[in-house]
Amino acid sequence: MTAIPMGTSIVKKQIVAVSGLALVGFILAHLAGNFNIFLGPEWLNGYAKHLEELGPVLWLMRIGLLAAAIVHITFTVLVTIENRRSRGVAYAVAGSRGGTTFAKKTMILSGLMVLSFLFLHLSDFTFADKHGSASIVAGANGGESLGLYGIVWNAFLNPLRVVVYIFAVCCLGLHLSHAIQSCTQSLGLSDEPVLQRVTFASRVIGALAALSYASIPVYVIVRHFTVGIGV
Amino acid sequence: MSATIDLTLKVWRQQDRSDAGHFETIEAKDISVDASFLEMLDLVNERLTLDGREPIAFDHDCREGICGMCGAMVNGQAHGPESKTTLCQLHMRHFSDGDTVVIEPWRSRAFPVLKDLVVDRSAFDRIIAAGGYVSVRTGQAPEAHSIPVPKNKADLAFDAAQCIGCGACVAACPNASAMLFVAAKVSHLSLLPQGQAERRRRARAMVAQMDREGFGNCSNHYECEAACPKGISVAHIARLNREHLFASVMEKVTG
Repeated sequence: MTAIPMGTSIVKKQIVAVSGLALVGFILAHLAGNFNIFLGPEWLNGYAKHLEELGPVLWLMRIGLLAAAIVHITFTVLVTIENRRSRGVAYAVAGSRGGTTFAKKTMILSGLMVLSFLFLHLSDFTFADKHGSASIVAGANGGESLGLYGIVWNAFLNPLRVVVYIFAVCCLGLHLSHAIQSCTQSLGLSDEPVLQRVTFASRVIGALAALSYASIPVYVIVRHFTVGIGV
Repeated sequence: MSATIDLTLKVWRQQDRSDAGHFETIEAKDISVDASFLEMLDLVNERLTLDGREPIAFDHDCREGICGMCGAMVNGQAHGPESKTTLCQLHMRHFSDGDTVVIEPWRSRAFPVLKDLVVDRSAFDRIIAAGGYVSVRTGQAPEAHSIPVPKNKADLAFDAAQCIGCGACVAACPNASAMLFVAAKVSHLSLLPQGQAERRRRARAMVAQMDREGFGNCSNHYECEAACPKGISVAHIARLNREHLFASVMEKVTG
């Protein structure tokens, strides 16, 4: 009656789970790649160059990720609309017995925040001109381009960018803190003891992902005010 | 003589399905702390009747927490503030003198309000009719020990079988989803040897009926488990997800 004909409610959540897992895989791989920044410009630029040299394979991965993201977002939005309808009349007093959490209640919001940030992030870094003016750091490398490293360095010396970036990775961490255990549950992989452990692991991974991503702008700022860029 | 308390009730009053409904404030004075919540409502209703007013309609039957008939949202909590307690087993000693108690019916599009706190839960009956049973030839009861059941499975099945179908899971779920109810029924039967023959058909048919009734989708908030008067674990929902996935894949493979 109110259901949008996209498979049963369980199939829908399992589609959300599988597409979400693909995105979690990307988030972790992307983080591992980003850690090259701590090793210096050669490492980060080398990593970026290596990725670009993958050519069609890189594009295949990007298309795969895009497809996973589109599926994930379409289904979560549909499911959220259905869920809003299914209550009917709202409660005058809304209570909780501690089953739900802030992260769970804000999944759609944190997800949409990460999505909006993604457009900014892609234009700032992924599709930025790696040798353009944004890649030149004042007083470093004899005024020559520092590639992606230079772009990242310049971006994170802008306080507004840093605030937006850290806010976005916090949303991401919050999203992950529920997402991973939710996937396990939706795919039916958990029993009671497993669920407890996975819930804990999910929160740890969420917190670590947010902290790790946030460490990048913090590193740039700290280095800028201490030893400097060093090239 | 036991202690008494005075309460202010804000009760949902609704004449019938088509009425928009409203909250009515009713003073409930001199309520014994030894009374159950339903006995408190009985007393209030007696007084309302004597005053020539319409008593509050609410569902109830066994009043010992095993039939699943009673239930209402009390200050935003399904079956009231005590955990693993049905409304009939909730006692007034858990309230304080002067408290305001807001009483609302279960809210779900699949549970239309019939009158005041009484909702139509026949959606649950239709889900059961879709597959929540085992088909057996009637006749002499077979010897119980002729079908061996492993101890761990019997325990899990029994946990699931405790579901009394009260609807608190739907009422407490932020999405008004009936997943814990359906999971308890599917889990109960799929764990036992008697449930194997119809196992795949059951998971698909009950979930399809649940969707048709207009319940929300589960998004793993786990408010249901916290609200369930029988403490049924969301691990049964994981089992239902697994059962449904397997049944759907097998349906595609074997047709």
